[in-house]
Amino acid sequence: MPKRVAILTTIYRYLSHAQHMGDRLLIGYPLHGRWHKPDLQVVSLYVDQKPKGDQSEERAREFGFKVYPTIAAALRQGGEKLAVDAVLLIGEHGEYPKNELGQVLYPRYEFFKQCVDVFEKDGRSVPVYNDKHLSYRFEKAKWMVDQSRRMGFPMLAGSSLPVTWRLPDVEIPLNSEIEEALMVGVGGSDPMDYHALEAMQSMVERRKGGETGVKSVQLIDGEAVWKAGEDGRWSKRLLTAALSRSDSPQGLSLTDGRPQDLVGSGELRKLVKAPAAYLIERNDGLRTTLLMLNGAVRDYTFAARVKGQGIVSTQFFLSPVPNVTYSACLVSKIEEMYVTGKAPYPVERTLIVSGALESCLQSRHKGGEKLETPHLAVRYRAPKLSQHMRG
Amino acid sequence: MITRRQVIAGAPLLVSAAPPQRPKIAAICTTYFQYSHSQHIVDRFLIGYGWNGEHHKPPMDLVSLWVDQVGEKDLSPSRLKEFPSTKGYPSIAEALTLGTGKLAVDGVLLIGEHGRYPRNEKGQRKYPRYEFFKEIVKVFESSGRAAPVFNDKHLSWHWPWALEMYETSRRLKFPFMAGSSLPVTWRTPSVEMPDGARVREALCVGYGGVDSYDFHALETVQCMVERRKGGEAGVEWLHAYRGENFWKAMAEGVWSKDLMEAALCRSHTLKPSREGFNNDFPTLDSMRRLMKDPVAYVYQHSDGLKAAILLMNGLVQDFNFAARIDGRREPFSTQMYLPMPPARTTLANFFTPLVNNVEQMFLTGNPTYPVERTLLTTGLTAAGVDSLHEGQKRVETPHLAKIAYAAPKQSTFWRT
Repeated sequence: MPKRVAILTTIYRYLSHAQHMGDRLLIGYPLHGRWHKPDLQVVSLYVDQKPKGDQSEERAREFGFKVYPTIAAALRQGGEKLAVDAVLLIGEHGEYPKNELGQVLYPRYEFFKQCVDVFEKDGRSVPVYNDKHLSYRFEKAKWMVDQSRRMGFPMLAGSSLPVTWRLPDVEIPLNSEIEEALMVGVGGSDPMDYHALEAMQSMVERRKGGETGVKSVQLIDGEAVWKAGEDGRWSKRLLTAALSRSDSPQGLSLTDGRPQDLVGSGELRKLVKAPAAYLIERNDGLRTTLLMLNGAVRDYTFAARVKGQGIVSTQFFLSPVPNVTYSACLVSKIEEMYVTGKAPYPVERTLIVSGALESCLQSRHKGGEKLETPHLAVRYRAPKLSQHMRG
Repeated sequence: MITRRQVIAGAPLLVSAAPPQRPKIAAICTTYFQYSHSQHIVDRFLIGYGWNGEHHKPPMDLVSLWVDQVGEKDLSPSRLKEFPSTKGYPSIAEALTLGTGKLAVDGVLLIGEHGRYPRNEKGQRKYPRYEFFKEIVKVFESSGRAAPVFNDKHLSWHWPWALEMYETSRRLKFPFMAGSSLPVTWRTPSVEMPDGARVREALCVGYGGVDSYDFHALETVQCMVERRKGGEAGVEWLHAYRGENFWKAMAEGVWSKDLMEAALCRSHTLKPSREGFNNDFPTLDSMRRLMKDPVAYVYQHSDGLKAAILLMNGLVQDFNFAARIDGRREPFSTQMYLPMPPARTTLANFFTPLVNNVEQMFLTGNPTYPVERTLLTTGLTAAGVDSLHEGQKRVETPHLAKIAYAAPKQSTFWRT
């Protein structure tokens, strides 16, 4: 019997996360050189909003499931008791307000809480995947993770960046001594900085001693970013290494196709009108920095200084639209949890990133003030293999 | 001093045993506009490129540039102004001699791609690679010294000329490399055909036109199958299928459906066949609807290996490889990934590992992979054109049947 899946989402429209992830459960997806058809059956769907282009009813008709008016009804397939074996919770896209920190208030916690209510009432719980970060608010995010621990149901969350292809295909060996790490990202806050932070987290969590939690954060922007680089608060050498992995330098490369040493030539500062640096210090002393460099590049790259290995750098490959095959990498991990009952990597990765991002945005809100973050003492161990796509 | 008689008798020319500390390089190009091969390759020598986590500057000097067709949008005038240590010359000979009358460079880039050149009756673009090569060799011979040459893409479109290029490099014993960036670019996944694998069948699902991207697909297959047990043995025949014949051949199982599907499942650009879906696997009907003028070259190697390239325009925009190998139940498959500008990237970074391999030849005097690979794919490209031209008949390729060579132990694709 295939496992029964409920999809709970904000919207289901072409190229929304629910569409490209949900559809993979319905029609299969490319995996290891095959068209893989998961042994799963989507039995119910809840959509919070039905904007123009909504596909929920159309999918339900074609694939023989129902769209339910509430989360509880979707989980119970309209009956009295929990009637699914797994939950795909996608709170991304749709019209939701933003708060003063600039966070979109996607109702992931609210959806999750309704799942937990049903689990408790019905005396059974099932694996839950939560797309992207947990709640925008750390307390809520932590509550989500705590419930999965308390009730003992497997939980997975996060972005596809940690599991997509890497160019080159590098894996930092577990228990390496990472001396410093830097990530380059682009796009808006808070969707895209989150992806970049989680990509970086999937690398630095492999360090000796494991993740020890975030000690402090500071989000600075504008001229202060460059000054922080001059002051050695982030490494220009690592930035050069990360950008050497980019396929999309802007400026002169756009004009005439030439490769560029954006740092060495000084072009970087001309191209990036509004840089932002997310300076994140860990409890074990590790410095990790995310530089959001809109205008300089259009891809996501990483570099770290690793003892005995020199500088390790790579690009997290976001494959082209519309296939976005990186989401197939993620769906294969979600499916693995549904089938085995074990999350292939710890949800704490996403928890710490959710919290670090929120604190960074608070820092920005306070004019770039450095914030101590004792609440982010999230400790965990990375899986033996980081599980990015390499087969 | 080598006498003229020795040259005529085919005595090898002297390539300095230890290449100079900082080689001087000449670039001989058809044209140099944004996104032309010359721009991608020569710019990397002039400016450097991202490599192993650094902005790497090749430890050599591009001292001379000759461009056959300088069009309105040509970048060579502005590059020459920007890089004053690179000089433009009015002829190939002068670019190689730097006006001294004798060969004065230690490496030559021959980039005969893009530019306005006529097509022949078979549709082949008559890029003057052979003609440029002849000019280069003339300088080598008159100087009594040769230098390593890299020929971008295939050798001449005209087989006898391509063979002559190869034989000349052997006769005069200068290092010679050629080919596409497909064999050396990233792979997703980053896998290597096991050395000595028993390969039963191999194919590439790619895109693009005849006498252009077909060559890239052929090189994709060749850089993998040359690693098989016994090494490369040559190719005995080739049969091209186009349009309705393609579909017929597919239905008859002329190539294996499971390999084709494996290759398609490595694509990152599979055209959705249904509205509202972003990544579905096409049915046969939707393939027929989506694909415009599909082309297949099916060919048989001298040791019996069957191979094919499928140009599935309208369905994919990338190059994917699949093979059946003894000891594996599932097809062995990967994608040779091209970060292609301008839609997705600004840099055609698949030229980066190509340039790096060429650079190694310039530094060490040793090609990092055998030019026989490209000699064979050059012949296959021309055979494909011939087969189509002759009404999609199978063409025998006795001239390719004995191109045997051993692949390098380590293939040189980009993985660092």
